[in-house]
Amino acid sequence: MQRRPARKGPRMSRNGWLLLLILALLGTSIWVLTTSGSSALGRDMDHLGLRLGLDLKGGTHLVYQGQFSDNVSADEKDFKMDGVAKAIETRINRYGVVEPVIQRQGDDRIVVQLPGITDLEQAKALIEQTAFLEFREVEVNSGSAPATLGDYLSDNRTDFYDSAVAGTRIFAFPASGGSQPPVVLLERRNGGLEYVDVNGDPIDRGTLEANLEGAYSWMPAVGDAGEPLTGAYLTKAEPQYQQSQVGVSKVVVAIGWNSEGAVIFDDIAGRLNPRTSPLNALGIFLDSELISSPTILQSEYGGSAVIEGDFTPKEARLLAIQLDSGALPIPLKSLYSSEVSATLGEQFTENAFLAGIIALGLIILFMMLYYRVPGLVAGLALLIYLAMVLAIYKAIPVTLSLAGLAGFVVSLGMAVDANVLIFERMNEELRAGRTLKAAVDTGFSRAWPAIRDSNVTTFIACGILYWFGSSIVASSAVMGFALTLFIGVAASMFTAIVVTRTLLIALAGARMTRRALMVGVEGRSV
Amino acid sequence: MFDLVAKRKWFLLASLVIVVASLLSAFLPGGLKAGIDFKGGISVTLGPREGETLTADQVREKLAELGQERAALQSLSDGDYFIRMGEMDETQVRSELEEVGVVQDFYSVSSIVASETTRNAAIAMGVATVAMLLYITWAFRKVPGSFRYGTGAVIALLFNIGLVLGVFSVLGRTLDWEIDPMFVTAILAVIGYSVNDAIVVLDRVRENLARGRAPGLENTVNLSINETLTRSMNTSFTTVLGILAVYLFVGGPIRGFLVALLVGVIAGTYSSIFIASQLLVVWERGEWTRLVPRIPLLQRSKA
Repeated sequence: MQRRPARKGPRMSRNGWLLLLILALLGTSIWVLTTSGSSALGRDMDHLGLRLGLDLKGGTHLVYQGQFSDNVSADEKDFKMDGVAKAIETRINRYGVVEPVIQRQGDDRIVVQLPGITDLEQAKALIEQTAFLEFREVEVNSGSAPATLGDYLSDNRTDFYDSAVAGTRIFAFPASGGSQPPVVLLERRNGGLEYVDVNGDPIDRGTLEANLEGAYSWMPAVGDAGEPLTGAYLTKAEPQYQQSQVGVSKVVVAIGWNSEGAVIFDDIAGRLNPRTSPLNALGIFLDSELISSPTILQSEYGGSAVIEGDFTPKEARLLAIQLDSGALPIPLKSLYSSEVSATLGEQFTENAFLAGIIALGLIILFMMLYYRVPGLVAGLALLIYLAMVLAIYKAIPVTLSLAGLAGFVVSLGMAVDANVLIFERMNEELRAGRTLKAAVDTGFSRAWPAIRDSNVTTFIACGILYWFGSSIVASSAVMGFALTLFIGVAASMFTAIVVTRTLLIALAGARMTRRALMVGVEGRSV
Repeated sequence: MFDLVAKRKWFLLASLVIVVASLLSAFLPGGLKAGIDFKGGISVTLGPREGETLTADQVREKLAELGQERAALQSLSDGDYFIRMGEMDETQVRSELEEVGVVQDFYSVSSIVASETTRNAAIAMGVATVAMLLYITWAFRKVPGSFRYGTGAVIALLFNIGLVLGVFSVLGRTLDWEIDPMFVTAILAVIGYSVNDAIVVLDRVRENLARGRAPGLENTVNLSINETLTRSMNTSFTTVLGILAVYLFVGGPIRGFLVALLVGVIAGTYSSIFIASQLLVVWERGEWTRLVPRIPLLQRSKA
């Protein structure tokens, strides 16, 4: 349009720029939608590379079992498994709005389904990095010295040295300069002891090298009543800067216990404090890995303590996050993992896309029949809107589940509504005998307050639903709906106010189309 | 031009009766029925017999015989199926499913964590409604009594939600329809969308008052409703068209969502015409007392 001979007034040239802007946006959107996009998350490349939810596309199916010892009551299992479910959900939601299915199965299992991730290892990593945090102390051998792997091997032990303390033994070197993976684990099995790796698979003791004297046997640190100290008792963990005597500040992690944890911790501190190194160290194990072994310096801590180590600020923050959010009440064992199909059935997604296209076609057809040329313009604007919204969904990326699609459909309805509002106003002005140009202008300015107020009301609802969805209610379906609706309504405002208007003004300027625009009014009696 | 405002008392009374009946039906026992996602049930892993394959259709057929047409059926990569359904007797499930395959495990499952908390979404909806009331009151601040506009829109919104709940409880009572997380999403959609209709009508009242196009509030409101009638009908019609198209193609699994949305859209149009702006007139003329006699709090608005 901008190639037309110079128009009088500044509006037409502004309109030309807007037309260019719209074309540029459309081009960018189409480019975003057609390029293969990032496959970093193993994202599905069908359907324009949009990330589809579990209900539409399927994903990964994982089953975990809580590792309880024999004499745990049903109530406690129930309580702890609920804790596990909530912890996993928190952890997953940290990776964006993905709308997982997390469901307890039986009394000690949990089913997790994650959308879109087809790489099983990646999906498992996402869940299993929900670390299990526990505290251990070095076991004493029959000679009252620190027990090592070498002692166990040379004594051919059939039971733990300290048989009163159940639970596995983890053999690890002291954690100086970074965390130490376990050398091997020792479990009570079939009335004897068996060496196993972190996954519980047996290890032939012949493969354990003889020079492992320094790998101490770490056993669970228990309170006087026998209950092990785990991350479940932690109430806070945060990095702090501490000034040392030479004036160099170093990073520590400050932790706090709840009332039960404080009692157990002081039981342990009272026992370990009088001992000599390494028997006075408290090993902090994250998923069987020794991350720090601070020395117990007091007999009573009263509920708070500080973990010192050679942390960089980043490591300290990571540790604090792992302690704070990742602490599972009990360790989990992966039982089963598989890809899984969509909850709504294989055929659903294809049908849904088809239905969407047909619905859009019907809406555009109706607009064209009723509003004629402006209706066609609105149809064009809706297609541009569609490309823009989908491109934004892909770029963020937003997981499109059914709830997300609902938000999108509602925003489509509002986009249509904005156009209807504008056209009704335009027609009123035309009937009142205004010129086409004036009718377009007045139509828009009259329709604007209603569009603004209704859309802002929707924005407010979206904002509050998203905020609640992410905090108090913790429902990613609510968040997904709010997010897609917000994006959709923002784009719909832009479409109605900028795209439809620019196209109409461009058409109103051309003599050929001027008559055609009037048809919608003239064709109907008032 | 229709004279819609003159009969406001009848419209409002009818609306009140509808919404009270809806809420009674919804919250008296047996109305809204919780689906498996909300109340838990059982999960079964079903595999093919040795050397055979098992199709999803075979499993669906067996589930239908158990009366579990709406069970969630997902295929796993090794050819097994993971099935979740409402509470059922283990031996009955096993004997039916063993006709086509091998039941590998059978567990009771909890409600889905995410959807369990969705129930708390009611809190979010409440807060969102109050925020809408405040915004509309602020947006209409140049009109005298702008709080009434906000109230009118919010009452229209509450009517829309009430009606959706009512229709669903009737479907629950007669056809055993259950409430699933998608239904909650539909309620969210109704909140986000249906109030628009009311705002469009109220916006027209605001404009016509400013331009002095009709004598008195009663005539202005009537003129505004009539002027926005075409727009209300067209918007509703296009939305209903879209919903129906989706229903025809993918109805089954999300019928609850679509029906809730459909009712919400129609209710939104109804309440924008017969409730939101009509309340302005009632409030202005202090007619509350004639609608609901002897409520001392409301009589003050007469002044």
